[in-house]
Amino acid sequence: MTIGDSFHLALRNLKQAKLRTALTVLGVSIGIASLAGMVSLGLGLQEQFVGRFTKSGMFDAITVMSPADRPGVLAGGLRGRGAGRSGAGAGGPSRAMPEKPRPPLDDDALKEIGALQRVKEVYPNLRVPVELKYEQFAEPTSATGVAMSARNEGAFQTFAYGSFFNNESENACLLSLDLAKRLDERDPKNLIGKQVTLTWAASSTFAAGAPSMPDNPLQLQRAEARYTVVGIVEREPGPGGLPGAILSGLMIPLAKAREMGAVDVGSLQSLFRGADQGKSYMSATVKVTHAQFTDDVENQIKEMGFMAFSLNDALKGAKRAFIILDIVLSLIGSIALAVSSLGIVNTMVMSILERTREIGIMKAIGGTDGDIRRIFLVEASAIGCMGGLAGVVLGWLVGRAVNFGANVYIRSQGGPTGNLVSLPFWLIGGAIGFAFVVSLIAGSYPASRAARLDPIRALRHD
Amino acid sequence: MTALLETQGLKRHYRMGESTVRALDGVSMTVEQGEFVGLLGTSGSGKSTLLNLIAGLDRPTDGTLRIFGDDLAQMSSTALSLHRQRNVGIIFQSFNLVSTMTASDNVALAMMFAGVPRAERERRARELLDAMGLSGRPQHRPPELSGGEQQRVAIARALANKPHLLLADEPTGNLDSRTSAEIMGLLKQLNERDGKTVILVTHDAALAAKYAHRTITLLDGVVVGESRS
Repeated sequence: MTIGDSFHLALRNLKQAKLRTALTVLGVSIGIASLAGMVSLGLGLQEQFVGRFTKSGMFDAITVMSPADRPGVLAGGLRGRGAGRSGAGAGGPSRAMPEKPRPPLDDDALKEIGALQRVKEVYPNLRVPVELKYEQFAEPTSATGVAMSARNEGAFQTFAYGSFFNNESENACLLSLDLAKRLDERDPKNLIGKQVTLTWAASSTFAAGAPSMPDNPLQLQRAEARYTVVGIVEREPGPGGLPGAILSGLMIPLAKAREMGAVDVGSLQSLFRGADQGKSYMSATVKVTHAQFTDDVENQIKEMGFMAFSLNDALKGAKRAFIILDIVLSLIGSIALAVSSLGIVNTMVMSILERTREIGIMKAIGGTDGDIRRIFLVEASAIGCMGGLAGVVLGWLVGRAVNFGANVYIRSQGGPTGNLVSLPFWLIGGAIGFAFVVSLIAGSYPASRAARLDPIRALRHD
Repeated sequence: MTALLETQGLKRHYRMGESTVRALDGVSMTVEQGEFVGLLGTSGSGKSTLLNLIAGLDRPTDGTLRIFGDDLAQMSSTALSLHRQRNVGIIFQSFNLVSTMTASDNVALAMMFAGVPRAERERRARELLDAMGLSGRPQHRPPELSGGEQQRVAIARALANKPHLLLADEPTGNLDSRTSAEIMGLLKQLNERDGKTVILVTHDAALAAKYAHRTITLLDGVVVGESRS
């Protein structure tokens, strides 16, 4: 007997009892729908959540600081100069700790970090002390340099008014809503397009644009420029997740901050450095190509002798929580599937009872135990596959309905809407495959019962 | 030459609660190829039990049962299935057709288990039904057929895999006398013209005497007489 023959016979038998087959298939489809629905809800929530986090720009970012710039280690920072840059990268952790050079976080170091695999970009976190003037308002604050790549990330996803910088060379700035309200209490929106004046102290080297070495890096010069307000953000961004960073309500393009940021007063020791050391930054942000590589890159940067932090661990925790949520949801969904698999067992047992005589006949004319078992297994798995297919369709429909209803509610509560239910192809395939496997398991007992029937007794059965 | 069928001290005992029923209690007999043998006996004499053992539907408690030299008592259940498939064709008193299948499908079902390709099965089923005088009704289901017609379908099915041995268990028990004569005529024809060996189980001594070459009489599980006609 060929597999094709078993299929033919099994489908014929299912057609003989259309109502019973349909009801059993419906039972399986409800089970599969609830399982697939629960899993897809879990996936949808996870995508919403983790997707939002990933977009926040916090998990693919590493904040790098030079240990030399740690407050209170001024002497150490100076002592490490002699080792030179080249040795620091190659040295790695094998170097003896006490004599480990403390590499400065300068442009060379940033280049070196940028050359690491999986690193998308590196930029220094610059905060330039400035005085902000607008009409009657004048206040010392600091201007944070914002990389162009931060567009659509973190705080820059939602603008109260206006938009992000167009390019990094324009004299444009962004304000936080808090700061904007202090500038124009009644209507911060009016500030868009207005000009503010920034005044800062620049060391002569950079302000003058002279490439020659200055005799005295402490020689400061007053500089002033007018900046156009292009956008107001609702939240104040933390610079690359730097812990304890002083938040600033004023943001300018990173390139502009570089131009004016000759002196970072936040780290006094930079004032005392010789020009041969180049300019070093208090901290820098490293963006990796994908959040999953954050750990790897972070470790490489640490091996280079820098301090590095990221918030990736928090995301890992969230992912673990979602895996647990998925498991819980699929367990709930499995209950319905377990009930419907009992439905398969019941249907098959009934069908065998009804067809006992037929089984006897098939055995008497040469059907082997294996033939009989296979016919019933194919019947059960056909029920499973049909149920799986119908279940995925049903689950999808219910999912759409739940999604629609939930989003209506979320919108009425003022929350962000999104697709809460996700039904990827692997889940469709998996659900049908799972229905198939469950039905095979459910069918195996009735099928082997049928196969073991004594033909003489089966033939006497009415 | 090996006998088609040979039994030695064949026993079949059943446990019925506390007591043991000795349905067959040491039967030794031989059937040669081409014979038409009647197994005669009253109800409970063990004739049907013997037929079931020969058919491979049941296993002996003791003794040997050789078909073409192979002992059925030693066979696995799959080997017994193959024996039913290839060596024997069984004809029952109650026809035992699958009521939801057409006459043609019933005949083809036996060939399906033997692995005959579908086109060949259908062609041969039609041929056999034609030969049984059912040319007009291959697509009818058993409930739409008369008793005689159903038994013809059953004979066609028994012949499907070209067995050497036909086992008929009271084949005319549910039929009127005229139809009975037709069915017995068919069996006689299969024996004489096609050389099929036939074992006929019956309680009707006259029927056995009329058609069988040799009649073996059973009583309480043992052979009590043998006569040639």
